[in-house]
Amino acid sequence: MAVTALVVDDHAGFRRFARRLLEATGFVVVDEAEDGATALAAVRALRPDVVLLDVLLPDTTGLELAETLASEPKRPAIVLTSSRSAADLGPALEQSSARGFIAKRDLTPTALSALLGTAS
Amino acid sequence: MLVVLAGGALVAAMIYGAYRNGLWPPLEKAVISWSLAFVGVVIGAVVWQLRPESRTGLYLVAWPLVGLVSDFPVVFSASRLAVTLGYLVSDAGVLFIALLVLTYPSGRVTSQLDRVLIWIAGAFAAVYGLVNVVLFDPRPQYDATILVLQPHAVPLTHIGSYDATGIRNALDAVLGILAVVFLAVVLRKLVRATPGGRRVVLPLAAASGFAAAQYLVQILVFGGPVNSWTNDSWFWIVTLTAFAIPASLAAGLLWGRRARVVVADLVVELERTPPGSVRDALARALGDPTLELALWLPDRRSYVDADGRPFALPTGSQRAITVLGPADAPVAALVHDPVLLERRALLSSVAAAARLALENERLQAELRAQLAELRVSRARIVEAGDEERRRLERNLHDGAQQRLLSLGLALQLARAKLGPDANGAADLLQEADEELRSALDELRELARGIHPAVLTEQGLTAALRTLAERSSVPVALGALPDHRLPPATEAAAYFLVAEALTNVAKYAQATRVRVQVAHEDERVLVDIDDDGVGGADPAKGSGLRGLADRVHALDGELELRSAPGCGTHLRAEIPCA
Repeated sequence: MAVTALVVDDHAGFRRFARRLLEATGFVVVDEAEDGATALAAVRALRPDVVLLDVLLPDTTGLELAETLASEPKRPAIVLTSSRSAADLGPALEQSSARGFIAKRDLTPTALSALLGTAS
Repeated sequence: MLVVLAGGALVAAMIYGAYRNGLWPPLEKAVISWSLAFVGVVIGAVVWQLRPESRTGLYLVAWPLVGLVSDFPVVFSASRLAVTLGYLVSDAGVLFIALLVLTYPSGRVTSQLDRVLIWIAGAFAAVYGLVNVVLFDPRPQYDATILVLQPHAVPLTHIGSYDATGIRNALDAVLGILAVVFLAVVLRKLVRATPGGRRVVLPLAAASGFAAAQYLVQILVFGGPVNSWTNDSWFWIVTLTAFAIPASLAAGLLWGRRARVVVADLVVELERTPPGSVRDALARALGDPTLELALWLPDRRSYVDADGRPFALPTGSQRAITVLGPADAPVAALVHDPVLLERRALLSSVAAAARLALENERLQAELRAQLAELRVSRARIVEAGDEERRRLERNLHDGAQQRLLSLGLALQLARAKLGPDANGAADLLQEADEELRSALDELRELARGIHPAVLTEQGLTAALRTLAERSSVPVALGALPDHRLPPATEAAAYFLVAEALTNVAKYAQATRVRVQVAHEDERVLVDIDDDGVGGADPAKGSGLRGLADRVHALDGELELRSAPGCGTHLRAEIPCA
């Protein structure tokens, strides 16, 4: 059975390419969300296995949303991503309950597979 | 004037009546007592004339007048009307004493407690008068009690001959309690008054307190009402008390003459007063430590304090305001104890004497106000600059950077689709991807230099950690604050450390740098020490000067110690609540 994914980012351009990248890696992208509230609703409705989550969102931060999602009944594996590097984001990243962090410029099928295991 | 004439005529008629009566009342006592009452009326009339806006004059006149009327039954004992009037006001003095003391000096009731006390005193006087005129039949009692020395006519309103002694005893007990409460209130007023106010209140308060004490003595020492016509010592107590009130007020007015001495002292003192201390000199001269000085700035058409901070004149009756100088172009305003209004002569002479010093003070305040404004605007400029930097960083991040990142993803996908062959297209894509990475790195470096996102989002401590990680010279981080500081303070501290680390890397030849930020005693201390060659010159680098400006804009200080061979020590001290 296919592994489902949700892309959360406020940039439509990034969402478009991220969807294709995930699909090329073997995930089934079930939805996209542009902010924290939409993302939470989508997670509750669609229960994706993986959430690719931007750290900076218009209404919340990816770190906060990750904590909320971690307490959901069927918690998805969360991959945080950002246009900034891990060093720029500081120590808060290390304390997050997300599966891991991949900077946007390092986002490749290989990096995703390494973090999540192969999708199919 | 009319009141004085009427009072004089009344006293003359009463003395004549007493003379005609022969035995009662004793003529010499009557003359002394009523003449002093007349003097009281005259003093009251003078005060009334001088201060028509205060009701104190009215009360001062009324008090000896009701005393005279209450003596009617002794003089005109055959007239039913005179006896009725006399009985009716026999204790009205209590009401006027209460009004006088509790409303002095304004003649207006200011507190709820005073209002209640006055109502009780009024009710007492009314009940006592009514009991007398309705129930007290003086005929059978004149030889049974010392209170009535000769037969009085029956009051016009008499309805029945009850023995009212019980009721009157009860009322006397009420009077005793009232006197105790009243004494306490007068004492409280004295204790709470400002020294200047005390000077005004003291004479009257003392005399009135004495009057209240008189009622107590009557009850505690003599055990009840005493007839002053038969008891010599009681006669003197009552008469002198009745006179003490107008007399003490006159004394209080005379005291105002001291103003000249006060002003002479003030002129000498102002010579030596440093700028900013004129208020203290005025407060001492006026005897009002609560005095506040508001200086008028014509350019702004508003008042400021000696430090140039805006000053709002209070409203309401708790404080009085005296504006110095012409109304359309004031120099200053004094906010003071309302009681000082009773000493207008002192107030205006002190104001005149201080005029020059106040002009000077006003210029100083204007200067301070401008300085304060300058300081605020400098801080505002730095803050606006920081905001602009934050906005730029966000724009770079949200705009160009995001597009380049999407482009990177597109290249990744293209490479995946092409597979390994394609006439070297894969290599081309690989190169494009590397070029893109460099562009992103440069853009990120640029954004970080403008305003690091980690500083905005996670604060100074996190931002300094990333700074330390990226430094080419090893950085040892000491204690750092565990809470967020105001954005301007965080930005100043961050850019200071960033600039210092850049300088260390460029010039210091240091092997290690120590950075520490402490927030204690309402200030933030930023320390950066290196073990390099020293000899840094703040005049050379514009970077450090810009940082000094930034620190100064926050009212802080920047200190640089960099003796050759001894490393460089940079310390910023920024006020922070």
